[in-house]
Amino acid sequence: MWRFLGTRLAMGFLTIWVTTVLVTLLIHAVPGDPVQIMYAQSQGTTPEQIEQVRRSLGLDQPIPIQYLMYMERLFQGDLGVTIRGGQPVLEVIVQRLPNTLMLAVTAMFIAVLIGVPMGFLAAYREGTLVDIGLMFLSIAGISMPHFWLGLMLLFFFALELGWLPVSGNGGLNLILPALTLGLSNAAIFARLTRSSMIDVMSQDFVQTAFAKGLPKALVLRRHVMRAGLLPVVTMMGLQFAFMMGGAIVVENIFSWNGVGRMAVEAIFQRDYPIIQGFILTFSLVVVIVAIVIDALYAVLDPRIRRA
Amino acid sequence: MNFTRRSLKQVAAVFSLSSALAAPVIAEDIVWARYGDIDSLDPHRATSTLSLQVWSLVYDTLLAMDADGNPVPHIAKSWSSNDAGTEYTFSLEAGVLCHDGTPLDANDVKYTIDAAFNEATPSLTKGSWGPITAAEIIDPLTIKLTLDSPFVAMVPFLADSFSSIICDTNGDGFGTTTAIGSGPWKLKSWTKGDRLVFEKNADYTNFGKLADNPGAPYEDGLIITVVPEPQARLAALKTNEVHIAEPPFDDVPMIKKSGELEIVVAENTGQNVFWEFAIHRPPFNDVRARLAVAHATDAATAINLIYGDLSIPENCPISRGVFGNDQDFCAKYRPAYDPEKAKALLAELGYSMDQPLETAMLVWTGGNRQKLGEVFQAQLAEVGIKATIEIMDIGSLNARVRQENENKEGTKGSMDMMTWSWYDPDILFALWHTPGAYRGYTSPELDAILDETRILTDPDARKVKVQEAMAYLLEKAIHVPLYTPGWEWVFAVSPNVEGFKVAPFVYPIFSDIKLGG
Repeated sequence: MWRFLGTRLAMGFLTIWVTTVLVTLLIHAVPGDPVQIMYAQSQGTTPEQIEQVRRSLGLDQPIPIQYLMYMERLFQGDLGVTIRGGQPVLEVIVQRLPNTLMLAVTAMFIAVLIGVPMGFLAAYREGTLVDIGLMFLSIAGISMPHFWLGLMLLFFFALELGWLPVSGNGGLNLILPALTLGLSNAAIFARLTRSSMIDVMSQDFVQTAFAKGLPKALVLRRHVMRAGLLPVVTMMGLQFAFMMGGAIVVENIFSWNGVGRMAVEAIFQRDYPIIQGFILTFSLVVVIVAIVIDALYAVLDPRIRRA
Repeated sequence: MNFTRRSLKQVAAVFSLSSALAAPVIAEDIVWARYGDIDSLDPHRATSTLSLQVWSLVYDTLLAMDADGNPVPHIAKSWSSNDAGTEYTFSLEAGVLCHDGTPLDANDVKYTIDAAFNEATPSLTKGSWGPITAAEIIDPLTIKLTLDSPFVAMVPFLADSFSSIICDTNGDGFGTTTAIGSGPWKLKSWTKGDRLVFEKNADYTNFGKLADNPGAPYEDGLIITVVPEPQARLAALKTNEVHIAEPPFDDVPMIKKSGELEIVVAENTGQNVFWEFAIHRPPFNDVRARLAVAHATDAATAINLIYGDLSIPENCPISRGVFGNDQDFCAKYRPAYDPEKAKALLAELGYSMDQPLETAMLVWTGGNRQKLGEVFQAQLAEVGIKATIEIMDIGSLNARVRQENENKEGTKGSMDMMTWSWYDPDILFALWHTPGAYRGYTSPELDAILDETRILTDPDARKVKVQEAMAYLLEKAIHVPLYTPGWEWVFAVSPNVEGFKVAPFVYPIFSDIKLGG
């Protein structure tokens, strides 16, 4: 088990490192550096002054040197300061990351809570109208873009019914963005659960359990669900990364002050330290979740541990 | 069925909870929703309209703008200059207090100017202060500024929020967590990306700003919140979570028709949207190609189609409300809509409908500008110009335009729908005087004209020179004005807001607002 976790951790760090290299290369590939953009509509600033600001930020250095400087600071726990405003990047991220995590976790909770029972019921009633109806719903859910679903929920629950606030960051404000993210992901979980359960239910060990005369509920709970949920658990890890990404759109619609929105603003302003800090945090969260999921997977399926 | 007292209480609790949930969220302070956040609370660290608007609430300026955009006394009750225009002396009002209770005096003015000219971290608008060589405190209420050479644009600059007076008690955290000024609203908190919270400055005296209210704001608090999605802003207005916001453009006719919300359009914004060209390579290094674009563009029709009556065509390179703007004068020099003339010019250059002039058309995203770009694209296609639209954020646009001007190779053209706003014709100097904001067109002849516009202290003489510069830019189709205003100028206002107005250069005023309804 420890070896298994060690391998996963090593791969996780490798992933994060590759991500930081790629991001550094990509942000420099986009036209315009942050100082150029900051001073683009500045009246009368001389090229010498602009160059001085670039030097003070280390932007006059070749990209590999800039990267090494960044990594050096990173190993000292320093993510740098924002180019606009001069705030510590860590502080800016720490202020907003909990909002995004709260949104993604709540959305995941909604997705699993709705998607897994839906898929299970569809599998149990395979080929019936219930199955067809539920799968139709799930296709509709997958097909709905976040921005459309978000606006529809906003119009209905906030504008028409007046039950929930339109925007902001309070407790009630979480419901609509989490529903938007959760519902479309619930559809994915429903389809995956259904196909996995159908597959497991047709296997010999399940048939044998039924043939032995075990109660149906016991077979479904102990044999079918445990084996059938393995792919769902794996999918939770993958979907969490997608949810963090999807949160960018949802955060914009509902003015949810998360890291996704922060990253979009930073990209427009070419605020490199924020972009790098965001990607680092984002990949760290995704890697941690993936490791947790892998560990959970190993707990659920002893064959993984042995492998 | 038996109801116990306890179960009845539980039912009552559930009902009261659901009615609390169902009740619309009513804002108690004034709430203004905008699409984005400020960059900084430090007036020397940003240039965005979003930032400027906030500084105008927190800080005071020496002078203020009247409704026509002319500088008038404010914190400085009077000012004078020597004949050479190289020394300005300002007398300050007594009794003005910073938000921390300390008096605002000449020390604060000097502190502000020294910060703008700090060699290590110069203000983004350092050049607009002019060639100031010294800020001398004559007495606590008198300050003298000495200039290296005359610079007439300094006076209107001192009425703009770029020159906000920063109290010298601002210490660590200035610009991010602290912003001590003497304006009508005191900063309580700034949650970056989310909201700015203000309380009224009860000690405030309005000496020259356009608010009718001579003292402190009527309402206790003001919240400026970020709501990026236009439909969400509209929904928040309708549910009374928000009092003032920029509505989705496409919904403005419906809003007006329903009468549910009031639409307020800012006037005299100084915003100028115009064509400019990559001038150092073909095809736009030839004036005929630039003139062809200008003659092929029917701005009035396009603007009406996309913005209705919310925006108007502009003939001058400096927009309405700015010193020197004269529609009739500019109309004489601006190439008028004339597709036949455009075709003839293109034919002279060897282009035709079968062999069109090819160009990229760079457009700033948002504000329905992409739709406007499509209308212009269709108009250009009618005369044999094949424009490929490229939509980008303003940062990319600024960088790309400069890149296009620096690229002198190739034959594919590049033109862009650029947007600038300024309170003085000195904007022309920034754009077109060597080396040029985007390294575009410059010439010694134009430089000489623009140099003069900075030093002529007589307004009439300066106006003549400004018009000379405009005629030069228009005749050569270097700067082809399209329309004004261009961004953040439309406000939808909740019916329970009384007294909202917008000062020139898109500065909303909140001191006069009374919430009712």
